[in-house]
Amino acid sequence: MAMNLDRRNFLGLAGLGVAAAALAACGGPSTSGSAASSSPSDIDFTGVKPAGSFDFWTSHPGQSQAVEQSIVDKFQAKFPDIKVNLVTAGANYEEIAQKFQTSQAAKSALPGLVVLSDVWWFRYYTNGNIIPLDGLIKQLDVKIDDFQKSLVADYQYANKQWALPYGRSTPLFYYNKDHFKAAGLPDRAPKTWQEFADWAPKLQASSGAKYAYIYPALAGYAGWTLQNNLWGWGGSWSNGWTFNCDSPESVAALQWAQDSIYKDKWAGVSSKNAADDFAAGITSTTISSTGDLLGVLKSAKFNVGVGFLPGGPKAATNVCPTGGAGLGIPSGVSKEVQLAAATFLKFMTEPENTAAFSAATGYMPTRVSADMTAVLAKTPQIKTAMDQLAVTKVQDNARVFLPGADQEMAKAAAKILTQQGDVKATMTDLKATLDGIYTKDVKPKLKS
Amino acid sequence: MTRQLTSSPAATAQAVPAPQRRGRWSGRTRRDFFVFLALALPNLALIAVFTYLPLINNMYYSTLDWTLGSTSATVVGLDNYVAFFTSSDAPQVLGTTLVFTVVTVGGSMTLGLLVALALNAKVRGTTFARSAVFAPYVLSGVGVGLVWLFIFDPGYGVLSWLLRGIGQQSPQWINDPQLSLVMVIIVYVWKNLGYCAVVYLAGLQSLPKDVMEAASLDGANGLRRFMSISVPLLSPTTFFLLITTMISSLQAFDLIRIMTPLGNGTSTLIYEAYLQAFGAYNRAGYSAAISVVLFAILLIITVLQLRFVERKVHYS
Repeated sequence: MAMNLDRRNFLGLAGLGVAAAALAACGGPSTSGSAASSSPSDIDFTGVKPAGSFDFWTSHPGQSQAVEQSIVDKFQAKFPDIKVNLVTAGANYEEIAQKFQTSQAAKSALPGLVVLSDVWWFRYYTNGNIIPLDGLIKQLDVKIDDFQKSLVADYQYANKQWALPYGRSTPLFYYNKDHFKAAGLPDRAPKTWQEFADWAPKLQASSGAKYAYIYPALAGYAGWTLQNNLWGWGGSWSNGWTFNCDSPESVAALQWAQDSIYKDKWAGVSSKNAADDFAAGITSTTISSTGDLLGVLKSAKFNVGVGFLPGGPKAATNVCPTGGAGLGIPSGVSKEVQLAAATFLKFMTEPENTAAFSAATGYMPTRVSADMTAVLAKTPQIKTAMDQLAVTKVQDNARVFLPGADQEMAKAAAKILTQQGDVKATMTDLKATLDGIYTKDVKPKLKS
Repeated sequence: MTRQLTSSPAATAQAVPAPQRRGRWSGRTRRDFFVFLALALPNLALIAVFTYLPLINNMYYSTLDWTLGSTSATVVGLDNYVAFFTSSDAPQVLGTTLVFTVVTVGGSMTLGLLVALALNAKVRGTTFARSAVFAPYVLSGVGVGLVWLFIFDPGYGVLSWLLRGIGQQSPQWINDPQLSLVMVIIVYVWKNLGYCAVVYLAGLQSLPKDVMEAASLDGANGLRRFMSISVPLLSPTTFFLLITTMISSLQAFDLIRIMTPLGNGTSTLIYEAYLQAFGAYNRAGYSAAISVVLFAILLIITVLQLRFVERKVHYS
């Protein structure tokens, strides 16, 4: 059994190792030269004819497969020469991103059009995975001025437009009207969290629900919804590229959240999905995406009320982040495919289609001129989401531009809200982590 | 052939004092060799392309600073390994891996042996019981994870309902990182103990009955017979299970992915490698380094088991 490593064996093994290393170096990314350009220049589509077919990768946000297919069918009728393959590329934004990134690495099977969420598009931009849409917007005469300004501005960087808004949402305050009535509370969302703290004991006493309020599941998008608390207390995850999640204001906001669970005992944390917990009657109130609205209205066996997100002691309004997904075009496909995809992108975001998408999902219409009369007559709660758009705020850089930051925020939130960890120490650790991610993964690419 | 048939071995040895290479390549030997190549080469080629090439590629990627999705990368040597072993996450990831592996291997094997002893009894219904015990092992990990996630849900899960019935609150199985690990371990052991039970059952049924009977005649009670005869004679089975379940536990993925997608408290080496590359971080080179660490650990454990543990095994 003993192995004698003589000179011949050693040379043989060394040769094998060198051959293996050489073989390995044949595949994977290029290691010669500098990193890929983060901003491909404008592409000239003059004389390009759209491809005969392309794949549209979507996660069907807000259970939108049926309405997406109907829009695709309408497009086929209008443009019979361009076939759109509607591909379910994941169950959520993360899974679709995983598939897209893997295809980028394999350099094959890329789609013509892809759903990209608020926390992913910037990474695609820094990796050079998506193209700027400015040239296509001009060539296809996309009415960019008719889009909701705040939503379209979310995808602008380095003076270019990198995506167009699609399944766009904001968090919304959901409340059980029956519970509010039984507790003698007004039929509206609280204006501030302090007001709700006064209401919570009454709700708990009269409703029979386990919680007066349930925080959204941390494995979901804790970093997104907690911006509401942070902003209300005058804090944030970051201010520009300065990470101030350990500021006294931010710590105070999360300390208040922790107290609502452990000290005042009227709040809990959802394990899987706060909208499902709310619809099941486990809690009297919660915060969840506007994209959950139709699902909640369908499954809840009580009267559902919705309202703006509550403010805090420092800011009573403008405490609601935007969110959701846009549509982008990969750089790794041919110009013909890019043009075909852009033609469909224009069609998909036209006023009547965005209205149809909104009616089917609860996501906000992305076009100002979208006729929502019929939709609002059927589901008046969507109006609240639309009105709240006027008081939304662009998300903190730390959450949307730093790879993995959302996950780190969720871990920190879990420590504070489910393990009663020290808030200041947890936020100090988070700041160090965010600083590290920025320095290593983002800052060098911003310079190039 | 004729010469070999007519010559005695001694004469042949005298005629051919030293082995000659050409003699090994007679027509038949050559033909057999080509048949061997024809049969083995396709499989060897598949193993080379789909197992060894990715393994070598992964080792190469572990020396790169590469963001998944980017077409370019920088060679950084062993920096990814240094970054992993000096990161604050490393002790937690290695600790979680150790706890998960030790408890799931120990739990599956111990409970599997106890279940096998029960199934070995000659009573009615054992055929059904054997099928029932083995069934979870062949079920999809995704399906098992989803069902158990519902059972553990503190809001409206079955367990929560049962606990409420006796006036207790459900623990935060999903949100509390320590309880998440306990939850995943429970489900993993439940799913895999059937495998250990069936293998142990086969071992128990092959034990020599005459030795047992002799021990009984000598007055050894059930526990003594089990400890002094069954356990030593089952050592080849135990050794086999130790290697296979340990490798399986170190590679456990589906239940962790389904039950705790964020990996909060349940991030073993393999899940950390997945999260780093395909989760939110996209650090492909760093992830590859973690995979190589896992590979090295598996290799070391297997070699140690073969060299030291196997000595304790009674094969007859």
